[in-house]
Amino acid sequence: MSARRGGLIRRLGGAEIAAVAVFIAVFAIPFLTNSVLVYSVLNQVLVGVVATFSVWIMLRMNLLSFATPAFMAIGGYTVAIAGRYNITDAFLLTTGAFVLPALVAVPLGALVLRLRGTYFVLVTFVLSQIMQLLLFETPGLTGGSNGIAGVPPVTLLGTELASNQQVLLFAGLLALLATLITALVTRYFRQHFAAIEENEILAESLGLVVWRYKALGFVVSAGVAGLAGFSLVNMLLTAHPSSFDSITAVDFIAYAIVGGRVSILGPIVGSSLLVYATNLFGTHGQYAQGLYGVLILVVILAARGGIVGAVGSLLRRRA
Amino acid sequence: MNEFLEAAIIGVGLGAQYALLALGFTLIFGILGVVNFAHGGFYMLGGYVAYSCVSLLGLPYPLAVLVAMLATGALGWVFELLLIERLIDDHLATLMLTLALYLIISTGVLAVFGPISMEFTFPVSGALRAGSIYVPRENLIVLAVCLVAIAGLYLILFRTDLGRALRALADDRAVGMALGLRPRLLFPAAFALATGLAGLTGALVTPILALAPGVGDPVLATSFLTVILGGLGSLGGAALAAFVVGIVEAYTSVYFGGSIGALVLFVLVLLLLVFRPTGLLGRDVRGA
Repeated sequence: MSARRGGLIRRLGGAEIAAVAVFIAVFAIPFLTNSVLVYSVLNQVLVGVVATFSVWIMLRMNLLSFATPAFMAIGGYTVAIAGRYNITDAFLLTTGAFVLPALVAVPLGALVLRLRGTYFVLVTFVLSQIMQLLLFETPGLTGGSNGIAGVPPVTLLGTELASNQQVLLFAGLLALLATLITALVTRYFRQHFAAIEENEILAESLGLVVWRYKALGFVVSAGVAGLAGFSLVNMLLTAHPSSFDSITAVDFIAYAIVGGRVSILGPIVGSSLLVYATNLFGTHGQYAQGLYGVLILVVILAARGGIVGAVGSLLRRRA
Repeated sequence: MNEFLEAAIIGVGLGAQYALLALGFTLIFGILGVVNFAHGGFYMLGGYVAYSCVSLLGLPYPLAVLVAMLATGALGWVFELLLIERLIDDHLATLMLTLALYLIISTGVLAVFGPISMEFTFPVSGALRAGSIYVPRENLIVLAVCLVAIAGLYLILFRTDLGRALRALADDRAVGMALGLRPRLLFPAAFALATGLAGLTGALVTPILALAPGVGDPVLATSFLTVILGGLGSLGGAALAAFVVGIVEAYTSVYFGGSIGALVLFVLVLLLLVFRPTGLLGRDVRGA
């Protein structure tokens, strides 16, 4: 019985529905608590989830992307620079934060993704380092090492979203949008992505123009990362190079792997748990990466599906 | 003119350092098919081991460098044997393992030595004068040691049975194994050789540059640029590209200053990927 129900849910995309439900539930939080700590952690989680989606989309095709901080920076700085010209309209900013990184990703993806996956990993890693340099080297545009402080709050339908609750709600909206985009792309191209993940050479020999789907995934992944950058800048009201440090790419990869790459719920579970765990470290946050390292080792050696995969197989065994 | 020559000497010096790193990286990739994200970590660890030997144990610096090389080599050997070996054919999994190792090394170093950079200085100072050109002695010593190490690596790889076996495995693992080569013995050896070189570079270079928990990252990025430029898995390409990278960095920093060099190199690499994806000396890249 339960096996049949599982099949039905899978066909409906149960994981995707659950993912959307999670973010709709976020909108209830401001009515449940006023705790600043809860808001802060939750906001970090929401930023982390969106950034992790961008890693996860590429992981669906067995590609490991280190470019997320770079595209987050493009999205985030787009919003911060628009703020200087008093552009605060939520729809406009969201579009810009998605489209600009995606546009940058088009030539880069077309170039690198024709080559083997290793090149992609190496180039995206270097890209994140280069973006840091670019941010420091263009003080006229990005404020250099000072960044851009005092980014004005976003206006949604004429309302200025300035309070903690409103910022959290808006982060929830962005996360919901990112979830929908991620779910749509990975569901719509599910078979293509799966073919590439399973056996790229076979997929190519069967006529699938592999690099095109990879490039498409990369463009969407860049756009989603841009939304994460928007959310981050909106939370801090500052765009600063340190927010987009290339080493944070490793955090998002850890969230995706530890949460589980098998389902869209993986990034959600992974970022929620690890962001929470990092906050437990308190002032010793720099040690969190050691924890990520150990967790990645455990997942790779013992539980390839991550937390979501492990729970899933446990449930299946029960049933 | 003097500036021009001095930049050239700095460039060659940088090139020799990058060559040691990139050769190790490309060795691991060529032979095992593993992208070693921990390479910068081994570089950093080499620096810290040498530092500890000098300041805590009071060893003379040359001995400390040797200890650093052996220690990082041993760690690489153990890591390959115990962890990488299990998943050797899964490119993404081995990449993640090395990434995890890098995170653990970084955090370990941070926990033991703290976030501030160490007071680790090269034992030799002063500059050598030739005409009106000044070259720091320490740079010359590092250059000499690096060149000796590159020559040594060349001898090992091209003049010994171990080297022939390693290159055979890089060319075609299946045929090599059919001829009786044993990856279980050779892969850890190759990994140890490469990480030992990274540790050696770290021990040599960190006293001149800096020794702090974050120094592995830019090293890793430079190694990546170098091996892409040279052609993934190509030893000659890595060595050649390392000197190109070193010289470009030296000249851009002398004439334009700051970090323009890295940007120039990145653009160079992207252009190369358009026109010659296999790199300067690369052949068809293995399926990774």
